[in-house]
Amino acid sequence: MSDRFLVSTKKGLFPVSRNGTGWMMDDPSFIGENVTLAMVDPRDGTWYAALNLGHFGVKLKASKDRGATWTECGVPAYPDGAKFSTFDGKDSQDAKLKLIWALEPGHVSQPGRLWCGTLPGGLFRSDDLGQTWQLVESLWNVPERQFWFGGGADQPGLHSICIDPRDPKIIRVAVSCGGVWTSYDDGASWELHGQGLRADFMPPDQQYSTVSQDAHIMVQCPADPDQIWIQHHNGIFVSTDAAKTFTELPHAKPSVFGFAVVVHPQDGQRAWFVPGVKDECRVPVDGKFVVSHTRDGGKTFEVITKGLPSEPAYDIVYRHAMAIDSTGDRLAMGSTTGGVWTSDTGGDSWTLLDARLPPVHAVRFI
Amino acid sequence: MARVVIAPALARWLTASPGHNVAEVAITVTASTVREALDALFVIHPVLRGYVVDEHGTLRHHVVAYVDGEPVRDKTTLATALNADSELYLFQALSGGML
Repeated sequence: MSDRFLVSTKKGLFPVSRNGTGWMMDDPSFIGENVTLAMVDPRDGTWYAALNLGHFGVKLKASKDRGATWTECGVPAYPDGAKFSTFDGKDSQDAKLKLIWALEPGHVSQPGRLWCGTLPGGLFRSDDLGQTWQLVESLWNVPERQFWFGGGADQPGLHSICIDPRDPKIIRVAVSCGGVWTSYDDGASWELHGQGLRADFMPPDQQYSTVSQDAHIMVQCPADPDQIWIQHHNGIFVSTDAAKTFTELPHAKPSVFGFAVVVHPQDGQRAWFVPGVKDECRVPVDGKFVVSHTRDGGKTFEVITKGLPSEPAYDIVYRHAMAIDSTGDRLAMGSTTGGVWTSDTGGDSWTLLDARLPPVHAVRFI
Repeated sequence: MARVVIAPALARWLTASPGHNVAEVAITVTASTVREALDALFVIHPVLRGYVVDEHGTLRHHVVAYVDGEPVRDKTTLATALNADSELYLFQALSGGML
């Protein structure tokens, strides 16, 4: 099992590691700064941290010594003249980097490759480990982008990047709000997928419009890549054909709203969620913080409370803030109120880390 | 030679382990406008470019530049003139805060 994970918070990056007696907080980086996402490249062990400094913009930092020192990477930049508009009628605006919202390493056969999803909706590719970035214009220029719009944020955001383990040229991304897109040619062209996704926030005749969907996060099972799960704005959806079609699971307990989902790395039938009350409310159902788990592809859901706080507990787990390690036995999650929990039992029970952290944006195993 | 002063909130990002007890940094440059001074600054400290200006070269919304005690109002072309003994002071706005 993985013995270390990174917790990105509103006030710094906190590494957590396990020794003989339990989990320990290691020295943090960027104390006081808004760390929105972190990623560890399994190809060379480099840590990457995305910061939103507010005054000084969005930054990407890299560390080759486990956070002791950091170097400045480049950040995605939209070309002059790039604009985004939103389908809900707002005026178009100049596209400027607002947030790094997805960060994934390329395949081992593509040294130097990194992928980055952003607000306001651009997908970027680097082939020099983040020193320079190129906008994937094939996706930026799809005609359907005129129908994208912000979900939560004022701008569309690309938050999920799934590299197909069978073929790294097959890339799937999800946009909030802009649907699910697949490229079979390393990003040269894109197809809009996601039939069956339903957006209850749209007018009735447009609820199944594939481009209007607000996936909050999309994850792909590494050992069963056709099995893809989405925690969506108004539902939980599962695909068994690699995101071409989805089935809605309206019976998920205790609710179908949430931000996070993780899938078991070997068993695509198993997925975990942290439910809440939809959508303008965004608190745990009845003030009780729970995890839900399906072991059978979404036919049934088990509500897990063991080790989680009794009510009232108004923790929410954001879309990047739950993680599962490569064994599938160990999970970790962090909440908006600064709680961090781990599980060594495949999510059946949880242990609260002895720390009160700033609001958690993201959790990632090393 | 004009003097460019970088306030501590900016200067801290010149270090590999950004801390909070960093002094301001000052350099001298040959420049007749704010833009020329910034270009010279970014040659010496290339990391600072992305902190001071956005991807289109405009002064960031929450970065403030003063020339000889007066705020720079032309934040796009940055054509404000500098004298040989001018001081360009770069610092963070008090707006734009987050709790």
